[in-house]
Amino acid sequence: MALLVAGCASAPAAGAPASFGPTDVMFAQMALAQNQDGDQVAALASTRAADPRIRAIASSLRDRWKTDSGPLQRWLLGWQQPLTAPAGSHTGHGDLHALQPSSLAELRAVTGAAFDRTAVALLLAGLHNSVETTRMESTGGNYPPAEQLASSMTSAYQEQIRALLVIAAAQ
Amino acid sequence: MKRRFTLPALTVAALIASLFVAVSPASAHGYISSPPSRQANCVSGAVPNCGDIIYEPQSVEAPKGSTLCNGGGSRFTVLNDTSKNWPAATVGQTVTFNWVITAAHSTATWEYLIGGTLLASFNDNGARPGATKQHTVSMKGFTGRQAVLARWNIADTVNAFYSCVDVNIGGGTSSPPPTTSPTTSPTTPATTRPTTPPPAGGTWAVGTAYKTGDVVTYNGVSYRCLQAHTAIAGWEPPNVPALWARA
Repeated sequence: MALLVAGCASAPAAGAPASFGPTDVMFAQMALAQNQDGDQVAALASTRAADPRIRAIASSLRDRWKTDSGPLQRWLLGWQQPLTAPAGSHTGHGDLHALQPSSLAELRAVTGAAFDRTAVALLLAGLHNSVETTRMESTGGNYPPAEQLASSMTSAYQEQIRALLVIAAAQ
Repeated sequence: MKRRFTLPALTVAALIASLFVAVSPASAHGYISSPPSRQANCVSGAVPNCGDIIYEPQSVEAPKGSTLCNGGGSRFTVLNDTSKNWPAATVGQTVTFNWVITAAHSTATWEYLIGGTLLASFNDNGARPGATKQHTVSMKGFTGRQAVLARWNIADTVNAFYSCVDVNIGGGTSSPPPTTSPTTSPTTPATTRPTTPPPAGGTWAVGTAYKTGDVVTYNGVSYRCLQAHTAIAGWEPPNVPALWARA
């Protein structure tokens, strides 16, 4: 019996890639959470925004997040790490950086120009927080595929941020 | 055997947990997106070569009370660089500022200043901002090119978030001239004269090449050109004594 337990427990250690670290885990967990937050905003923005540019950016972000969630989840499973951050890890300061339920309710409640303005503000805020996460991985990660994905995410987000700021400037 | 294999797992979990605590998210909260602040103009690419601010325009955090666009300190000093060609948004006497909020922190006040003059202060009494934050602020008679400094004073820390917005304020009527003069003075006088000289008594206009002795009107007052130059926003006659004297 003891041998059986030992065998099960040792299997992941033998098969797991050697080169991941805590930052990679945190990156994958935070990116998944931020993408889920962002998707709630983008789902509304992609259908309800009056400005077609906002709808296009929101749709494009949703596609990107869907695609990226594949490797992010796969890595965490392979590393035998939870898909979400441990409870309590965001109690200090970090929860303020997440999408507030009240903000989502605000977006649902407004229409017309106010909807577009709120959607742009929330998409920008989410992307800025995401870029902090992807840059953390680029500078502190150990797992090359995760670092590469983070770098690609940074570029993609910065491009959408630029486009959103052009829209915001005229709102 | 069981113990031997559970210990490393616990150690890794503890390490990760401690990292979540130690590596707290960067203190980033917000900035003004419209009219575009200096950091927004860096991120959008309107102003190149800004450095790391393009990745975190929301992070211009420093102790409260600074009058610098970067809030003082050594980070993001590019925001104080007046030699950068910051685009100025054309605005009227009333300007609506829109913020992007990346962390909904408990807020003391939002302040707007030009030079040392407080244009407006909004007291949120510790409330947390929602999805958006918008303020409508009077320019209090300031005209021409100005840098509006916005300070978001956080209620539960010693810090504020800083955003400078360059504006070109038009529509001034018989308003008092700004107390601050432009930080840059014309260094290269216009070498070419206008093909058609501005009509005598014409209204001052950006882009016009003026020569010494030209007389223009601005806000109903006549000024005589002291030095040949091509007018740009911010060089309105009452603002630049080196270029214009009352006629």
